Amino acid sequence: MCAQILEERQESIKLAADYKAAPIRCDAASVSGAVSQRACVYCGARVVLNPITDAFHIVHGPIGCASYTWDIRGSLSSGSDLYRNSFSTDLQEKDVVFGGAEKLAAAIDEVMRVYAPKLIFIYCTCIVGVIGDDVEAVCRNAERAWGVSVIPVKAPGFSGNKSTGYKMACEALMQLLLPHKDQSRNNGVNILGDYNLAGEMWIIKSYMRETGIPVVSTFTGDAAYDRLLRAPTARLNVVQCAGSMMYLAQRMEEEFGIPWIKASFFGVEDTSAAIRQVADLAGTPENRRRAEQLVSRESARVTRLVAPYYTRLAGKKAAIFVGGGFKAISLVRQFKEMGMKTVLVGTQTGRADEYEVLGKLVDPDTVILDDANPAELESFMREKGADILVGGVKERPLAYKLGIAFCDHNHERKHALAGYEGVENFTREVNLSINSPVWRHVRG
Amino acid sequence: MHSKIVNLNTNPCKMCMPMGAVSAFYGIAGCMSILHGSQGCSTYIRRHMATHYNEPVDIASSSLTEEGTVFGGEKNLIRGLDNLIKLYRPKVIGVSTTCLAETIGEDVPAIVRGYLESRPDCKVKVITVNSAGYSGTQYEGWFRALHALVEQADMDAAPHNGVNVITGPISPADTRALKVLLNGTGLSCTLLPDISDNLDGKHGASYNRLPSGGTPLAEIARMAGARATLELATFTPDGASPGRLLEEKYNVPLTRLNMPIGLRDTDAFLRALENLGGVIPAGVKEERGRFLDAMIDAHKYNALGRAAVFGEPDLVYGLTRLCCENGLIPVVAATGSNCPPLAAILEEEIRPAADNVLVTRFSVLNFADFDDIERAALENGANLLIGNSDGRRLAHKHSLPIVRCGFPVHDHVGGQRIRLLGYSGALQLLDNFANALISRQESVFRTEIFDRHHPALRPEKASTPFGPESLTAMSDQAQTHGKTRPSLQKSFAEKTRSHPCFSASACGTSARIHLPVAPDCNIQCNYCVRSFDCPNESRPGVTTKILSPREALERFVRVKAEMPNLTVAGIAGPGDALANFAETAQTLRLVREADPDITFCLSTNGLLLPLYAPQLIELDVSHVTITINAVDPAIGAKIYKHVSYLGTRYRAEAGAAVLLSNQLAGLKLLADGGVVCKVNIVLIKGVNDAHVENVVLKVKSLGASIVNIMQMIPVRGSAFENFTLVSNREHMALRKRCEVHLPQMYHCQQCRADAVGLLGDDQSIRLREAVAAEARTDAPVGGGALRIAVASRSGVVVDQHFGFADQFYIYESDGVSTRLVEARRISASKASCGMCGEDPGRRGNTAEGMGKIAKALAAVADCKAVVAMRIGDSPSRQLAEKGIAVFSTYETIDKAVRHAASKCAP
Repeated sequence: MCAQILEERQESIKLAADYKAAPIRCDAASVSGAVSQRACVYCGARVVLNPITDAFHIVHGPIGCASYTWDIRGSLSSGSDLYRNSFSTDLQEKDVVFGGAEKLAAAIDEVMRVYAPKLIFIYCTCIVGVIGDDVEAVCRNAERAWGVSVIPVKAPGFSGNKSTGYKMACEALMQLLLPHKDQSRNNGVNILGDYNLAGEMWIIKSYMRETGIPVVSTFTGDAAYDRLLRAPTARLNVVQCAGSMMYLAQRMEEEFGIPWIKASFFGVEDTSAAIRQVADLAGTPENRRRAEQLVSRESARVTRLVAPYYTRLAGKKAAIFVGGGFKAISLVRQFKEMGMKTVLVGTQTGRADEYEVLGKLVDPDTVILDDANPAELESFMREKGADILVGGVKERPLAYKLGIAFCDHNHERKHALAGYEGVENFTREVNLSINSPVWRHVRG
Repeated sequence: MHSKIVNLNTNPCKMCMPMGAVSAFYGIAGCMSILHGSQGCSTYIRRHMATHYNEPVDIASSSLTEEGTVFGGEKNLIRGLDNLIKLYRPKVIGVSTTCLAETIGEDVPAIVRGYLESRPDCKVKVITVNSAGYSGTQYEGWFRALHALVEQADMDAAPHNGVNVITGPISPADTRALKVLLNGTGLSCTLLPDISDNLDGKHGASYNRLPSGGTPLAEIARMAGARATLELATFTPDGASPGRLLEEKYNVPLTRLNMPIGLRDTDAFLRALENLGGVIPAGVKEERGRFLDAMIDAHKYNALGRAAVFGEPDLVYGLTRLCCENGLIPVVAATGSNCPPLAAILEEEIRPAADNVLVTRFSVLNFADFDDIERAALENGANLLIGNSDGRRLAHKHSLPIVRCGFPVHDHVGGQRIRLLGYSGALQLLDNFANALISRQESVFRTEIFDRHHPALRPEKASTPFGPESLTAMSDQAQTHGKTRPSLQKSFAEKTRSHPCFSASACGTSARIHLPVAPDCNIQCNYCVRSFDCPNESRPGVTTKILSPREALERFVRVKAEMPNLTVAGIAGPGDALANFAETAQTLRLVREADPDITFCLSTNGLLLPLYAPQLIELDVSHVTITINAVDPAIGAKIYKHVSYLGTRYRAEAGAAVLLSNQLAGLKLLADGGVVCKVNIVLIKGVNDAHVENVVLKVKSLGASIVNIMQMIPVRGSAFENFTLVSNREHMALRKRCEVHLPQMYHCQQCRADAVGLLGDDQSIRLREAVAAEARTDAPVGGGALRIAVASRSGVVVDQHFGFADQFYIYESDGVSTRLVEARRISASKASCGMCGEDPGRRGNTAEGMGKIAKALAAVADCKAVVAMRIGDSPSRQLAEKGIAVFSTYETIDKAVRHAASKCAP
């Protein structure tokens, strides 16, 4: 392996061939000074909850946390736009000295008088606990006074990593749902872990509609308060981004007895499998028949559309660095289908078992890394001669500086990557960047 | 517009101090930044900067954890410094604190001192900055970092002839232009900081991850010996002014100048350079001439501009002055920072310019958020936004043009190359202002003039891209609901097209369901026997089972699953939908939650319509059928035996009159509210057959849109039991006659109150059985299907060890097709504590491990085969003993299951 690796990072980087000897070090705190690409607990929580469109999302803390997360994700709404605003208690020095709880309570009262939302989330950032604000008490009092749900989200940045934030968001959702436990069950499914980026939840819902499976509630893409409360009535939870929502699925199984299955809507194979499985578990043979119709029609259509691209992409080398293991696995499989080789694959918050699957999927000389930093990405992309990097905005300029093509798989994109149409978009995007004429000129 | 929330910042027009500090450090040669705090701060700031500058932005974090927060983060910071040095080999490191580090009281200078003492070989200069996010914005953070640099660098006070030039936050392109200008004057200048290369890099064969452009530390050291400092910032707080520090500590005279934006301030800056002995290059003088020319060219366009200017204090001041020089009135000038002196000085600038064109309203906002800016921009009639791209939401919402400048610019490329400074920067900017105003005028002036003179012909206004429920619209919700409902109006027409009862073309394709939730009736018609369904809407003969709203929902959901073409849900009794209004309303609410697209219809005798019409509209009922058999109480009295209204039973003409007035009032209320109204008329020979046309004319005048004339079906036991049926010919003739007034429904099937499906293809009996089946059985689909357990994480591929599985996908397959029966949980325990069973020596002997395998074995006991990625010898043997076949593979589930099934087939 090549240089530029900190000693403390050695165990988080492996060749697939070496994977059997010992598992990769993952799910650990980032190494100080290593320039991790990860965000924080607050980020994880905000990502999961913010797509709830008609909730009032208040960031309790200094301004930065709210400023940097204002409407940065492409979650779309079919109803309210409230979630696209950024509300912060904007704590000042004096608040840090005397406490911010009063300001928060006053803010909630104002919000109720002016906007009267049914649901308010209070995100507790780093310093809230340190300065001793009892946010839970503020929320309890506000609930009592106004009769709406005011839910604290415990997300101080230092209390873990992004995954901890996912869990805190799931806890907040459970706090919302538990009082509505006693509802009779009907035939629909909930879809968990899709955030309706570029309308992806709508794509999934359209598949459900065609199959004849009603969708009760969505977590949290295009979610709204009233629909969320119906979630306990579903027969099945379909968990898409397992990293963020597994915990919620497990808790809902415990509390409401709703079984869950994991599903991926990335790639033709995964999407088809997901549609069939949901039809089997939540529907009748008739639903399964319709699922089969949908799958065969769409697979054939997409396969026909992408075939001409594949000849242009065969043999190219891909590097993948994304948030979770689930997405990375899907991407490796998609590249395989395209005749491309994944030479580097890493995630910010993948889990051991996901890395094991990755180890199986890729070639023995593929580099696998957890919580990589720019220096490592740079070294290995160079060493492996990657033609394209799939990642988020922070990684994009690095790829470009190195003269490597780039595919956005982040939350700000405006084109869907899920479902069959996502396969088209993805293939087209990979092609337009890898085979762009600019590379010939800048390298020449 | 909603009222201001004073305790919240709504849509921030500022960022935090660390952002400013790390941005300034990007202008120092060989400098890396580390933020002392939790991981997120650096990542968020990196993302924000990377999107604006389109450059890799590497900023380290000490990654404080819970432990560090409680016991101090010294260890984290020290390790962070070590690692950062190893990875980047920087010459300078800027350590900026965050909210967290400041709040827990980290003594960063002491930690750094200790660090350097324990590493005598370390040649890296470490600069510390106190930059708690709550103590100021990126503006203050920028200057604090520069101040710290000058304060902590090893300064060299040996006098020399050089000049210091210090800037606030400006773009890399402006920095570059400034450098060119300074070089051209012949003065020896030190520019602090210099982000021109590091944040707007070149593409080349090699990439150096350490930002190597920028002001070298050695040059910063020499700033102490310069003969003058020019600080191009108006509002730098004294405590954070590097120029002031140089003056106080090293006697370098400070001249503070405005940022050279626009004519006056660029002139002043050049004069200052001349005063220091600089020579203004001829090219710059030419630029000035060209700029003057441009000012004249654009002045009439700019004079129509009413701008909202926002950003950091210096930027807002500079832009405001540029605008005022050109007759473009800044009706809003706002900063998100807290900069008290700004207000008075801006007011002084704007007032005369505004007076000049008789503009009386303008707002100067300090410590503002975008909510304030939006409010002021609307009140003062802004027609142009000037500032960073966070204003784009305002621009979209109110269709205002925005000229992007400052930081950040996230929605355009080239944020790093936007020019403001000097004559050439101002010229570009001025052209952009004028062009934004010109294109706006160009796109609206025809329609504006037309509308002013043809108000009646004004086409419907296009909705904003933000949709109907934008922030400002929120508090007016109640109002919007009651009155105009343009979006609903439009969709009504669409819904009508897919409503089988209202549109003949839809009746063959669109299905409807009637939900029998309303058993009661409040009138007695002479053709009706209450033990049967109401013949208004249903054939007599079978009494409908009444459903509770929740049962109705369940029926709806089940039917919807079977019939994707189900477009309409209706409530048609079996009594009167409004006589059981609570049930009706609840049913509608439940169904709406389950299916936001479904069209609601409802049928009623109309007696309670005046009472409930507003609520029906609120419930989004788009189609209502009212049965009105007569518009003359004398005729009505022959049809209705009695009418029970508000506790009183009215008979004869009184009853008919009460019913009639309510029917007509209700019809009007609904029609005015945009509901599509159908009127049913039961045609009774010898009673109202000659009167039907009057009914049609009357309901037409009140807004009904279709009429359904139905033959009365004489019901045994009813008062009209012995009446004769109107002949088909008479019936058709009447419909034809009335068709000239209102469309007629020819395709009515007089369906049941619990009808399901297409008109003419009632599925209610069949579906009622399907509905009764609560859950489907788990019996194998076909003969010979085998049950197979699959260990899979992803649910797509067989990608899990048998022993690791916390659930099995239970499939059935006959070798050809597959069916997922369930995802069977093994236990509620966590997935990670399992064991693979492969190496019993390692973990297999623990009680937990044994328990897990035993549970897994039990979970698959009813299966014929197990498919897993890997499986240990012991469990494999135990499965074999039970006659369960084992397949170890890495394959898609579908293929693996089919393979296993065909292998196991008897």
